Amino acid sequence: MQSRNKFVVTISGIILLVFVWIYWVSTNSDTENPTMMAYLTIDEIVASESQARVKMGGIIQAGSIVIDKSDQLKATFVIEQDESSLEVSYYGSRPDLFKDGIEVIVEGSLKGNIFVADIVQTKCASRYEGDLREETADAGNAL
Amino acid sequence: MMPIAGSVALNLAFGFAILSFFVLSFYLRTKSVVYYHVGRRLAISVSVLSIIATVILLNELLISNFDIDYVAHYTSLETPFIYKITAVWAGQAGSLLFWLFILSLYSIVAIVQNAKKLQQMMPWVILVLVFVQLFFLTMTNFITNPFEPTTANFVVANGNGLNPLLQNATMAIHPPMLYLGYIGFTIPFAFAIAALILGDSSSLWIRTIRRWTLVSWLFLSAGVILGGWWAYEELGWGGYWAWDPVENASFMPWLTSTAFIHSIMIQEKKNMLKIWNMILIILTFTLVIFGTFMTRSGIMSSVHAFAESSLGPLFLGFVFLILVGSTALVLYRRSTFKADRRMESFSSRESGFLFNNVIFIVICFTVFWGTIFPVLSEAVRGTKITVGPPFFNQINIPIGLLLLLLTGVGPLLAWRRTSKAGFLKNFTIPILLAVVGGLVIWTFGLKGYVLIAGVLIIFVTAAIIEEFARGISARMRRFEESILIAFTRMVRKNRSRYGGYIVHMGIVFIFVGFTGKAFDLEKEVGLHVGESDHIGKYNFELKNIRDSERPNHFAWISDVRITDRDGKFITNLHPEKRVYFHRHPNPDRRQPHSELDIYSTINQDIYSVFTGVDSEQGIAYLKIMINPLVWWVWFGGWVLVAGTLIALWPRKEA
Repeated sequence: MQSRNKFVVTISGIILLVFVWIYWVSTNSDTENPTMMAYLTIDEIVASESQARVKMGGIIQAGSIVIDKSDQLKATFVIEQDESSLEVSYYGSRPDLFKDGIEVIVEGSLKGNIFVADIVQTKCASRYEGDLREETADAGNAL
Repeated sequence: MMPIAGSVALNLAFGFAILSFFVLSFYLRTKSVVYYHVGRRLAISVSVLSIIATVILLNELLISNFDIDYVAHYTSLETPFIYKITAVWAGQAGSLLFWLFILSLYSIVAIVQNAKKLQQMMPWVILVLVFVQLFFLTMTNFITNPFEPTTANFVVANGNGLNPLLQNATMAIHPPMLYLGYIGFTIPFAFAIAALILGDSSSLWIRTIRRWTLVSWLFLSAGVILGGWWAYEELGWGGYWAWDPVENASFMPWLTSTAFIHSIMIQEKKNMLKIWNMILIILTFTLVIFGTFMTRSGIMSSVHAFAESSLGPLFLGFVFLILVGSTALVLYRRSTFKADRRMESFSSRESGFLFNNVIFIVICFTVFWGTIFPVLSEAVRGTKITVGPPFFNQINIPIGLLLLLLTGVGPLLAWRRTSKAGFLKNFTIPILLAVVGGLVIWTFGLKGYVLIAGVLIIFVTAAIIEEFARGISARMRRFEESILIAFTRMVRKNRSRYGGYIVHMGIVFIFVGFTGKAFDLEKEVGLHVGESDHIGKYNFELKNIRDSERPNHFAWISDVRITDRDGKFITNLHPEKRVYFHRHPNPDRRQPHSELDIYSTINQDIYSVFTGVDSEQGIAYLKIMINPLVWWVWFGGWVLVAGTLIALWPRKEA
């Protein structure tokens, strides 16, 4: 084989192999630790009745957070998306920003009519780009 | 008054940039040197004006002029001095101005440095630089102007203040590091475009930009590592890399620029891979702009998310323009940049470099694919599919190990082809050591990727030490030098080569750290004062919960005593639960923050987070983790920086 072809063939082979590898990893992941996960709305999750692991995001309903008295790691809360809402139960330490009205992304699966999550992340866009009007209104009131 | 000056400086810079662009174009048509000098001076004034605008913004932040929207957003009267400075790049408008600021600093240096050299190329280089500046000037002038007055219809007495998470010394230097790295690639890019336009296939310009590329690469590497370090020290999830879109945005140009640094050596030494180098630097710069777009546009959900804004289309347009323009140029000039000779054998060092490049690009592609897949899937199929760290890890662990293997193999190969004798001479010791080491690791019951990683780490380390030992012993014999003198003189004689090997060693150490990830342990538990629990081979006991009122926050402090299984004292950890703005009348504005405590040794880190407190019952909720070998990641980072500095250190001109 000509030396140039030898390299072209090998590199093409590597690239092909990588595509196959990406495809394989994307489609053959274990259910506990999936490589890819659907990000669904509450309506889609409830409608699917599936127990597959998914991600979901929304706002924590004001006043819905209930923390277990004897074990503070145990918490339930309600996530709202426009008209829909879903109860979430979660065991573990909560992010510092976890509170009423904050946007969260949870990961877990639907068990009955409760979403059992094992990962809760707060979305922190608001931290960087705070709503100044609200902020200054507070400051103004405090004056 | 001053904010107006800032705005005017930006306006003027914009006008001058357009003027400079046209004057330089006119020079290129007429070849009348006067136009070149005017265009060049205009370009320098664009940079100077941009720098002035940044300094004015900094000044407004320092004097807390809350009439400016940006100042009121990111600082408050209580914000410590240093974080008033970092507020320059904390928000969107400021960070784009900061981009421009650094590009301007670089531009001035590049223009002045090459004033007498590369006469033919410089007009084009300046043209490209001004064009990039023009893009960022458009942004800061018309889309997000950092000098925008506040929209509040009352006097803003105090600003928002900076997020406490960002109030950390590392966070003060991580973004500028990344920026210095990111933006530095604009210079090599500008030279590459100039070379393409002129059809200059000599490798002269490669020599000019080698240093620029290395400096940018150094800053980018340091920035990426610092970012990981910050995440590990501050965020409390016990890891340093989450394959977050913004992390990926900094990692992708790192990969392509690392490939570039390797392959320009081939161009310098062998006059090969010329077109390939063009593609690599164009790709790097495109990824830099794309990365800035990703972090600034908010199309990716990310922990770094910034508010969505109208910047998106403009950025995408710019990325598109760069890609189309450069591709057209590359295609147009492809015959001029044909290599003088061809690769001969798989066992040549050239081919080692080539495969190293292929692997870097492959990793970059997998990262790119995983990063944009959620956006693609949503656009194409309507459902959003998120791609998690398991995807990136599963795909890249084997590819990364292959890269590690090449790190060892490459430097042992001879140019053109490696003879059988040469192969035996160079490879025997590293392979033997790797096999023996592998057996030892295996007897400890380790297998799979960990075993392979262990074998490769030994192999590469042995290969690098062998290279050093060979050079040193040759000098010792020839010049009868002592071992230390031989070592320093050898390194000094060929800084880029031995500096490079030291960087490789740093990478090996970082891989050692990655391997530790396989053995992470984690436990979350609520403890009463006096209670204890265990994790791995350690016991931890909650001795006390204290509280403390400090200037800008309130803190609960857990005193945790760590002992090993035999009761031998290891360390005391004091993770804190803080509340910032704790005196704010609105409880919603008070911000809790977990300040963690880590006991770090070369074997492992004991990592503690105080996640919640029940002060009435005296319960502390703790997350304790054992993270083996993390120390090596940071150590490897330092070695990498040291190696790059050695490679960069200016040679004494004879």
